Amino acid sequence: MKSRLPVIVAFLAGVLMIVAFFGRGAVVDRVAEEALAWQTIVAGFALLLGVGSIVRVHWHRLATGHPDRIYSLVLLICLTVMGGSGVLFGIGSGTLFDSLFERIQAPMMSTMFSVLAFFIASAAYRAFRARNVLSAILLLTAVIVMLGRIPMGQYIYHALPDWANWIMMVPSVAVQRGIIIGAALGAASMALRVILGIERTYLGQGG
Amino acid sequence: MDRIQSVDRRVLYTLIFISVIIPVMWPLHLPTPETPEARAFFDAVEAIPPGSVVLFPFDFWPSTLPETEPMAVAGLRHCFRRDLKVVGLSNVGIGGPSVADRLLDSIGAEYGKVYGVDYVNLGYKAGYQAVLLGMANSIAAIFPTDHRGTRLDSLPLMQRALNYDSLSFVLIVSDNAMADYWVALVNARYGLPMVAGVTAVMAPKMLSYIHTGQIKGLLGGMKGAAEYEALLGESDMASRGMDAQSLIHLLIIGFIILGNIGYVASRRRPSPARAG
Repeated sequence: MKSRLPVIVAFLAGVLMIVAFFGRGAVVDRVAEEALAWQTIVAGFALLLGVGSIVRVHWHRLATGHPDRIYSLVLLICLTVMGGSGVLFGIGSGTLFDSLFERIQAPMMSTMFSVLAFFIASAAYRAFRARNVLSAILLLTAVIVMLGRIPMGQYIYHALPDWANWIMMVPSVAVQRGIIIGAALGAASMALRVILGIERTYLGQGG
Repeated sequence: MDRIQSVDRRVLYTLIFISVIIPVMWPLHLPTPETPEARAFFDAVEAIPPGSVVLFPFDFWPSTLPETEPMAVAGLRHCFRRDLKVVGLSNVGIGGPSVADRLLDSIGAEYGKVYGVDYVNLGYKAGYQAVLLGMANSIAAIFPTDHRGTRLDSLPLMQRALNYDSLSFVLIVSDNAMADYWVALVNARYGLPMVAGVTAVMAPKMLSYIHTGQIKGLLGGMKGAAEYEALLGESDMASRGMDAQSLIHLLIIGFIILGNIGYVASRRRPSPARAG
């Protein structure tokens, strides 16, 4: 029963959502609305569970003198300060939580992201070599798109933006659509496996 | 020739740093060529009747603000200029609602808009798929209160924005797979028209949805934002950023060419073993 009940719940929830997606009616809409409201509540509790788990893991590291315990301490302090300030003083504009976010977290995240520009430039210089015909085609395509997507491109050659647009809209979209369809089929088959109880890894069991 | 292939990374980093700083200090004011999808984005917003209610998801992390914030700012200015009512929300828990609050308040103030009447920030709710599907039946069932804790039934705008049937349009700004969920769950199921502003790396994938008509227009990265600013007759953050991006692209291409010259030269040179 311990493993059968979650499978039954997953089956009923999955079937309900499929029926609600493809059909409409007062009863179906009402039940689906209720189920979706429950899901947001469950997702909220899942967040709490995540916080509890992360605190437990890092507290254990501190208590057992793990070599990287300093990072665990930083994480727990940040979690307490950010979480505490939000719970105690609110999360709206002008609050302590908002100031901490705007003045510390957002600049740090932007800094991490902007460092990518340096790595990309360095990696492109070292790895982008025309070793054979295929890599030469890739290199040429990348150069056309990079030049065609910047304002200076049109001054280098007037047709570059049009060439870049064609590459983006025709070959690139064709490949992307193949990937999207493949991923969607994979997701649909995975969902079906979960609904039918074949896939049970979410219960901590093999499929 | 070996030295051409192994330029010290500190030299590279210094040149990149200089390429970013120079156009920020002395803007080049280069015009950005307009793409059809950015024009379609602009035209789609222009076609919404004044007074309509627009859903505005701020689905981006603070790390991509240089790309996404200019789109969000330009999008809000366009909406408020056309007297559209904006219902903001975020499916990104960390930072999304705070950024939404800041942008809605600051851009709203530029146009004399009033919170609760002209715009609302619903904030964040965990479980994005349930949020997107649940709002089809009732926004208040998913968001009983707004980001500030005010009950929705006390906000005049939310008396008009009850579910997707009462919304005219969705203007997505996103740096993650949420843009796909808006298309797959909301457009496909409920037919709500939408446009999207996404980061440059996401743009090739999102162009597929332009072909199928699932999104009406697309802004791709800082370039898309700069095009949108130009269409609005403004020159703001994205237009300034494009100058730096131009120089960086040229620098990277220059280094790729340099590296390949060194590579070709080293292949033509006989190896010491064979020569000896």
